[in-house]
Amino acid sequence: MNTIAPSKNSPMIALTGVHKSYGNYEVLKGIDAEVARGEVVVICGPSGSGKSTLIRTVNRLEEIGSGSISCDGNNIHQPMPAKELNRLRSRIGFVFQSFNLFPHLSAIDNIAMSPMRVKGLQRDVAYAKATKLLERVGLADKANAFPAQLSGGQQQRVAIARALAMEPPVMLFDEPTSALDPEMVGEVLSVMKGLAADGMTMMCVTHEMGFARDVADRVWFIDQGQIVESARPEDFFSRPQTQRAQRFLSELRH
Amino acid sequence: MISDIIAIIRDYWLLLLIGQYPNGPLGGLAATLLLSILAIAFAFPVSIALALARLSNSPFLNWPVTALVYFTRGVPLLMLILWGYFLVPLVTGANVPSFLTMLVTLVVYQGAFLSEVVRGGIVALGHGQMEASRALGHSYLGAMRYVILPQALYNVIPSIISVFVATIKDTTLGYVINVPDLTFAASQINNQLLTQPFQVFFILAAVYYVICWSLSRVAIVTERRITRKRAGTASQATAKSLKLAALTDQPS
Amino acid sequence: MSNFDLSEILGNPEYVAMLLLGIKMTFVVAIGSWTLAMTLALLLLGLRYAPGPVGNAFVTAYVSYHRNVPTLVQLLLWYFGIFTLMPDPVTFWLNDHNAEAIFAVIGLGLCQAAYFSEDLRSGMRAVSPGQMEAARALGHSYVSAMRFVMVPQGSRNALPALINHSVSLFKNSSLAVAIGVAELTYAVKEIENLSFRTFESYLLVTVLYLVFSLMIMALGAYVARRADPVRSGRA
Ligand SMILES: Nc1ncnc2c1ncn2[C@@H]1O[C@H](COP(=O)(O)OP(=O)(O)OP(=O)(O)O)[C@@H](O)[C@H]1O
Ligand SMILES: [Mg+2]
Repeated sequence: MNTIAPSKNSPMIALTGVHKSYGNYEVLKGIDAEVARGEVVVICGPSGSGKSTLIRTVNRLEEIGSGSISCDGNNIHQPMPAKELNRLRSRIGFVFQSFNLFPHLSAIDNIAMSPMRVKGLQRDVAYAKATKLLERVGLADKANAFPAQLSGGQQQRVAIARALAMEPPVMLFDEPTSALDPEMVGEVLSVMKGLAADGMTMMCVTHEMGFARDVADRVWFIDQGQIVESARPEDFFSRPQTQRAQRFLSELRH
Repeated sequence: MISDIIAIIRDYWLLLLIGQYPNGPLGGLAATLLLSILAIAFAFPVSIALALARLSNSPFLNWPVTALVYFTRGVPLLMLILWGYFLVPLVTGANVPSFLTMLVTLVVYQGAFLSEVVRGGIVALGHGQMEASRALGHSYLGAMRYVILPQALYNVIPSIISVFVATIKDTTLGYVINVPDLTFAASQINNQLLTQPFQVFFILAAVYYVICWSLSRVAIVTERRITRKRAGTASQATAKSLKLAALTDQPS
Repeated sequence: MSNFDLSEILGNPEYVAMLLLGIKMTFVVAIGSWTLAMTLALLLLGLRYAPGPVGNAFVTAYVSYHRNVPTLVQLLLWYFGIFTLMPDPVTFWLNDHNAEAIFAVIGLGLCQAAYFSEDLRSGMRAVSPGQMEAARALGHSYVSAMRFVMVPQGSRNALPALINHSVSLFKNSSLAVAIGVAELTYAVKEIENLSFRTFESYLLVTVLYLVFSLMIMALGAYVARRADPVRSGRA
């Protein structure tokens, strides 16, 4: 196992020459990029450009064709026993567009179950931590509610708490607010802002440009399987370098 | 063993196919199929009427049909056949052939059954279609006739085929009142041969298998075609189709 | 036709004894075959998910046979066919131990297992694939994700179908009369023959079947409500 001792200066996530195809269709055409520790990266780009595919390769929900991805010093796509992959995944938080809460478990059970079953945490420890996390996402009063009894925004906040319960050093978000009614987007974004303020390393696919402007350290603009631009948000929004990015931004504003 | 089976088929194929006909009533496979086809053909209109009655707001229509549905769901078909055997001659006052008694029983039983399928198809459509038709000025029955039923019945075609398969399997129970069907023919052969029961019933099982399997394939292919056609319009809730499948796909 | 009079049957200890014996036998057959069916169904489901194509092909064939051949014919094949092919010692033993009932349990149980296993499989398939992904993203192994996320939801999805099929299994216990098991339908025919009270005896047994079926449905509805976290009042 070529685990590089993670140092303060090494990037949290490093993608090198990542290619991926579905059959003949090349979705990712050579991605080279890094996310530093504590950095917040927002990924945007037109529909079908490969954003979801890219972010899902980071915790290996999606396999890659060639290249390599390291996260917190671990080479994610090298051959390894299933056990090791599970351990690595538990250290990468992932938030889905469609929440994917476990409908048969209450909010607090959703959060406490995996720390107990995957990490072997004691029950009382897991529940104490789950309670704290529910407070953190502003849902302390919903501990015993089931997903079906929660609004979309509340579900997504529970989903974030569930991912945080594994104490990952990095969090990935795939369009966490695009399945939500407009009035619920804010509550989820503010939880994410809080996370960023606490120094969490984050990779977010989102079209919430306000969030990108306020919170992101860097914006990656993806088109047709390539990172076309990588810039600080203020630069990206005021001076997009490529025509494709200009077109994308003007369409987004309309 | 295999040569026994071939010999039985060679000697008795006509009995298995049409029973004693023309020297007696039509029997064998022909009777099984005729009985099933007639049963489903009569049960179909009956089921639509029952479904509409059960969906209506009038307790006079709603209540008896609900009772009938629970009755047929709760009482073994065998018991209903015995009732039919007892009641049909009593009501008609004539000596009715067992084939006809069985037909009447199956129409009631599968009619009630099918009505739940049809009702499921109507409910699955949702309120939108009815509201849109009423907004256009259709009467309730007009909307049913021209908008709701055409869609609902089309969507439940696969379930109707499944009920048909179930009906074929149900006809075997006619043995209690000596309906001369395929199973009856096989028992006759078994009684004549005495020494080869396994071979005889194996043939019987094989014939049913081929027929029911083929029809089930038709149901599956139809289901796929309908799902594909519908894919553009509304997506159906999985839970609903699950319940519907559980209803039609009955052992018998 | 004499006037309707239930006491002709219920007042006669001999008939009442026949009825009670019939009820007992119906329950022996129904509960025995239900237990066998559920056990087999779980094994079949396990085979379905086992790696390699052999298990899956076997289950497909098993399900196909038991769903496309009438249950009655399956029973006849067991009792009149397979039974006679068994070696003598087995035959003797079975004949000493109510062979009819044993074959009714085997025949009905094997048949019902095909339905139960398909119910469970459809229930599992109705769990959204996002659930497995979410569990894997949290670091659960395949087995752990199955145990804590997929199976609890899949079995709940399967409940309505399992209940429906349990009721029809109970009703199908009446088919055992065809191979001479002295269950409820057998009892009613006996009583009718002896008493000439067709209407009364049919009515009595029909009501009994109906009450038992409704009880199974009610029990099923209760279990389903208990299993539904939102409606069970645990929330
Ligand atoms: N399992 C799959 N098989 C084949 N093609 C796929 C598969 N998953 C995704 N694709 C294709 O890969 C391309 C990239 O998909 P991806 O989901 O990454 O896009 P995206 O940028 O996330 O788009 P969106 O904004 O719509 O979510 C799309 O053209 C999509 O059709
Ligand atoms: Mg996407």
